[in-house]
Amino acid sequence: MTSRLLLASAAALALAAGAAQADVTLGVASPFTGQNSSFGEQIKRGAEAAAAAINAAGGINGEKLILDLQDDACDPKQAVAAANKIVSANDAAVIGHFCSSSSIPASDVYAEAGIPQISPASTNPKLTDRGLTSVFRTCGRDDQQSAVAAAAIVSRKLGTKIAIVDDKSAYGKGIADGVRSALAAKGIHEALDDTLTQGDKDFSALISRLKSANVDFVFYGGYFSEAGLLVRQAREQGLKAIFMGGDGIAATEFASIAGPASDGVLMTFYPDPRDNPAAAPVIQAFRDQKFEPEGYTLYSYAAVTAFAEAVKRAGTVEGAKVAAELHKGSYKTVLGTIAFDAKGDPDTDPFIVYVWKAGKYVPLK
Amino acid sequence: MASGPSLETPARDHKALRNAGLAALLTLVLSIPFIGIRLDDSQGSNGLAFRPQWVAGLVVVVFVARLVLDQTGGLAAWRPRFPTGLKRGLRLEPPVSTILIALVLGLAFAFPLAPFASRYEIGLATSFLIYVMLGWGLNIVVGLAGLLDLGYVAFYAAGAYTFGLLSTHFGIGFWLALPLSGLAAATLGMLLGFPVLRLRGDYLAIVTLGFGEIIRIILLNWSDLTGGPNGISGIGRPSFFGLPFAATAPNGGTTFSKLFGLPFSPLHRLAWLYYVILALALLTLAFTSRLRRLPIGRAWEALREDEIACQALGLNPTVIKLTAFSLGAMLGGLAGCFFAAKQGFISPESFTFSESAIILAIVVLGGMGNQLGVVIAAAVLVGLPELGRSFAEYRMLVFGMAMVLIMIWRPGGLISGRSPSIRADLSRFKATGPEVAP
Amino acid sequence: MAYFLQQTINGLTLGSIYGLIALGYTMVYGIVGMINFAHGEIYMIGAFVSLIAFAVLGLFGITWAPLAIVLVLLIAIVFTGAFGWAVERIAYRPLRGSFHLAPLISAIGMSIFLQNYVQLLQGARLRTLPALVSGGVTLFRENDFEVRISTIQIAIILLAGVLMAALTFLIEHTRLGRSQRACEQDMGMAGMIGINVDRTISLTFVIGAALAAGAGLMVTLYYGSVDFFIGFLAGVKAFTAAVLGGIGSIPGAMLGGILIGLVEAYWGGYVSGAYKDVSVFAVLILVLTVMPTGLLGKPHIQKV
Repeated sequence: MTSRLLLASAAALALAAGAAQADVTLGVASPFTGQNSSFGEQIKRGAEAAAAAINAAGGINGEKLILDLQDDACDPKQAVAAANKIVSANDAAVIGHFCSSSSIPASDVYAEAGIPQISPASTNPKLTDRGLTSVFRTCGRDDQQSAVAAAAIVSRKLGTKIAIVDDKSAYGKGIADGVRSALAAKGIHEALDDTLTQGDKDFSALISRLKSANVDFVFYGGYFSEAGLLVRQAREQGLKAIFMGGDGIAATEFASIAGPASDGVLMTFYPDPRDNPAAAPVIQAFRDQKFEPEGYTLYSYAAVTAFAEAVKRAGTVEGAKVAAELHKGSYKTVLGTIAFDAKGDPDTDPFIVYVWKAGKYVPLK
Repeated sequence: MASGPSLETPARDHKALRNAGLAALLTLVLSIPFIGIRLDDSQGSNGLAFRPQWVAGLVVVVFVARLVLDQTGGLAAWRPRFPTGLKRGLRLEPPVSTILIALVLGLAFAFPLAPFASRYEIGLATSFLIYVMLGWGLNIVVGLAGLLDLGYVAFYAAGAYTFGLLSTHFGIGFWLALPLSGLAAATLGMLLGFPVLRLRGDYLAIVTLGFGEIIRIILLNWSDLTGGPNGISGIGRPSFFGLPFAATAPNGGTTFSKLFGLPFSPLHRLAWLYYVILALALLTLAFTSRLRRLPIGRAWEALREDEIACQALGLNPTVIKLTAFSLGAMLGGLAGCFFAAKQGFISPESFTFSESAIILAIVVLGGMGNQLGVVIAAAVLVGLPELGRSFAEYRMLVFGMAMVLIMIWRPGGLISGRSPSIRADLSRFKATGPEVAP
Repeated sequence: MAYFLQQTINGLTLGSIYGLIALGYTMVYGIVGMINFAHGEIYMIGAFVSLIAFAVLGLFGITWAPLAIVLVLLIAIVFTGAFGWAVERIAYRPLRGSFHLAPLISAIGMSIFLQNYVQLLQGARLRTLPALVSGGVTLFRENDFEVRISTIQIAIILLAGVLMAALTFLIEHTRLGRSQRACEQDMGMAGMIGINVDRTISLTFVIGAALAAGAGLMVTLYYGSVDFFIGFLAGVKAFTAAVLGGIGSIPGAMLGGILIGLVEAYWGGYVSGAYKDVSVFAVLILVLTVMPTGLLGKPHIQKV
C-alpha cells in the first residue's frame, strides 16, 4: 500500500507541477495520521476516485480538478491550521473534515473566507445549525439518527430495562443524549446510564454492572472498536441484553472484533450507498483497486461530484456563487439524487434499522 | 561504540565484518515483524502480505553502512559539529544583542505586513508564539526551579476554559478575561502545588501527569459546565480597543476597518491576534528576565542546584517552589486565554498529554532555562510538522526521530549551558562553576 | 457479595496485565534511573508481534490453542526483546551520564516514532484476532447474578504469576540477577569488579520488553483487537502502578498493578465509568502524599 501511496503522491506532485493557472483546486482535509486515520483514508480514496473520474471526463468546464490534501489529525488546532492553509492556497472549496470537533472550528475559517465546505462525515447537528451559508454535508445528522433509534426501541418493544452507554466523544454522547431525550419524550426512562473511555479495552467492570442491574437492552453511542469489545466481553460474561448502536459501528471491523457475539446487534445506518444501482460502476472500480468503498468513501465521492456539478452550473469557482448554487436544485451522485436544504443538510433517505448477521448487516424486518 | 586500539589490519577487518554481521542480524530481526510481514485484513480474517525484498534490502544497506562506518571512524565522525562559539555568540550580551534584539523585534513587528504573509503564515506565526509563551512559562517551573512538570497543559486548559465560560455566559471580553484567566490558572497551580511539591523528581512528574489527565477528564465529563466533548464554541474575539473586526458592526457602531478607512479583510483580525500574542510573549519575556534577577529568581536557581544547601541557608523550599509553580501556571493560563480567543472553539481534545509533552520538549530542547533556546526549539517543533504537511503520513515519524537525534547530538539542548543569571566573579578562584550540561 | 467478587476477578485480570508492564518501567528505573516512556509502545509492539505470529502459525496449520499460545509467546519475546534492545542502544545509551531530562525527551521522541512506524507499516486500521480460548466457569449464583471467570481470565492470571516467579528467580538466583543488583547499587563499582555494565543494562531492557511482550500476548488473546495506539493509555497506567508500588521495587510494581486494576474495577462497578481514570490518579496522589516513595519503595535518603 505504501508504494501505491508513493506513486499517488508522485502523481499528485507531477500534476501540481504541470498545473496551469486555470486548474480548480479542491482542498481535502481529514485525519491522515492518528487514531482516526482509517476514516481519513476512506475520505481520501473517495475524493481521489471522484476527481479522477471527473478529469477523465474532461474536467470541470474544461479545467482539471486537483486535490490539495491536508491532514488535521482530528485535532481542532491542526484543523484550523489546515483550514488556514487551504484558504491561503486559494482552494475553491474543501471536502472535510471528518471529526465534528474539527469541522466546527474550521468552518468559521472557511466561512470567513467565503469558500464552501462540504463535510462527508461530520454528523454533529451544530455544524450546520449555526447559520453559516457555506457549510454543507453529504452525511446525515445525529439527531435524525437518535429519533429513528428511539422510535424502533418503542415500536418494536426491544426492552423494558434500558441502559444507555456512550464513549464521551462528541459523536457518541450526542447520539446517546438524543436517544435519551427521545425516549423520555415517550415516557420511557433508562434504568442505567454509564460511559466508557475511548481507547480503553477492558469493559468488564461496566458489564458486571449492567448484569447486576438486569438490563435487557443497551444502547451504545460510540465507534466500532469499543462497541465490538463491549459486545464480545458482554457475551463472555453471560449478559443476554440486546445491543444497539449508531452509524459509528457500521464497519466490518465491528464484526471481526465481536466475533459471533455480533449476531443480533442492532444498528441505525443509512440505506447502504453500495446498494444504489447507479453507484455500481464506481464501486466496481474501487474493488478493482482492492479497496472496499465502505464507511464514508462514497460520501466523500458524492461531495466531490456535487461540488464539481455546482461549479459547472454556476460557471465560476467563486465561493459565494458555488455555495448559492449548491443550495439550489438537486445533484446526481453515487448516493442517489440529493438536494441541500437551507442549512446545508442533504435530503438523503432517513436512517433505517439494521441487524448484524454472520459478519454482515441486513435491514431489520 | 568505542573502537579498540588499532590492531594489525586482518584482525581489524575481521572485527569490522563481525560487527557488520551483528548489525545486519539485528536489522533482520527488527524488520521481520513490521516491514517484512504485514497483516492484511481481508473480509474480517487476517491475511498476510510478505515483503521479503524490503527486509533483504534493508539488511544489505545496514551491513554495508556498518562496514563503511567502521572504516571511517565510527558514528562519532558523522555527528554534526556545532561551532563551540555558537553558545557564546548567541548569548544576549550587549552590544551585539541590542542590534540583534532590535532586528528580531523589527522583523517580528513587520511580519504581518510582508507581502508573503497570508492567513496561513500569520496563523502559523501566531501558534508559534503561543508555544514560545508556553515554553517560557514552563521554563520557570522546569528550567529555573528544576521541577519536572508533565501536566502543564492543565493550566493552559484552565485559562482557555475560564475565558470560554466567561465569554459565553457573561459576555465578558478578552481583555477583562485575560487577567482573570491568569488568576484562575495560578490558583489551580497553588492548589495542586501545595500537597505535591514535597515529592521528588520523578514522583512529582507522574503526579503532575495525573493531574493534567484529571483536569482533562473533568472537562470531558462535566458536560453541564464545560459542554463535555462538544466543547465551547462561539467564544468572543478580541476587539481593537473596543472596535470589532467585522464587515459591519452589530449595532451600527464603527468597525476597525471603517475607522481606518480600509476595505474589510479578515486578515486584519488575524494580524491583530498576532500582535496581541507578540505583546503577551514579550511581556512574559520581560517578566521572567526580571524575575531571574530578583531574590525569588535566584532562590529558584539555587534550589535547582542544591535543595539541601538552600534549606541550610534558611530558604523555605515549599514557598519558593510554590511561587515558581503558580507563576508558571499563570503564564500558561494567559496563553490558554489567548488560545481560546484565537480558536473561537475549545474542546478537551486540545489539552491532551501530548500537548504537555510538546511544551516540555520545547523547554528541554531549548536547553533548560534558556530563553532564546525556547524560541528556537518552538520554531523547530512547530515548524517541523508543518513543513512535513506535504508528506503527511511521514511527518510524525520524522518528528519523533528528530527529537531523539537532537537529544543525542545536543543533550544539553539546542543552546546549552544553563548559566546562572547572576554570576559572581569567580576568576580569582577556580575557572568554572558547577556546569551540568553536556 | 457476588457482585463484589465478580468485580474483584475483573480487577485482578486487568491488574495482572498492568503489573507485567509496570515491571519493565520499574526495572529500568531501578538500574538507570530514567523513565522509559517508550515502554508502552514496546508493549504495543508485543501485541502486534503476537497477532502476526498467530497469523503466521495459522499458515502452517498450527491452530491447537495451547501449542499456538506457547509458540507465540516465545516468538513475541524474541522480537519484542530485540526492539527493547534497539531502543536502549539507539535512544538511551548515547545519553547515559547526561542530565536527567535528556533521556526522557529522547524516550518521548522514540514513543512517537514507534507509534507512527507501526501505523505506517501496518496501517491505521484496527487488527483483530478471533477468540482462540473461549468458555469459562460459573463459580456460583446469588439471586439472578452469576459470578463467572472465563478461561482466558484464569490463563492471564496464571501466566502473569509464572512470569513473575521466573523474574524473581532470575533476579535472586542467577549471575545476571546479581550483576543487575550490583549495577543498581553502584554502577561505577560494578564496572570495576568486572561486571559488563552496558550488557547488564541492555539485558534489563530486553527482560522488560519480554514481560511487556507477555502482556501484549494476553491482551491480544483477551480482547482480540490491537491497534497502534494501545501503548499510550496502558503505558501511563502501568507507569502509575510502578510509582504507586514504589518505583525501583519489583514486588511493588506487581502490587501497584493489581491495586490499579482493582481500583479501576471497583470504581467502574460502583461509581461510574466516567471518572474511572480520575480514580486511578487520585489514588496515586493520595498514596504519594502520605507515603512519598510509594508503597514498597525504599525511603530516599540524601547524603550531603
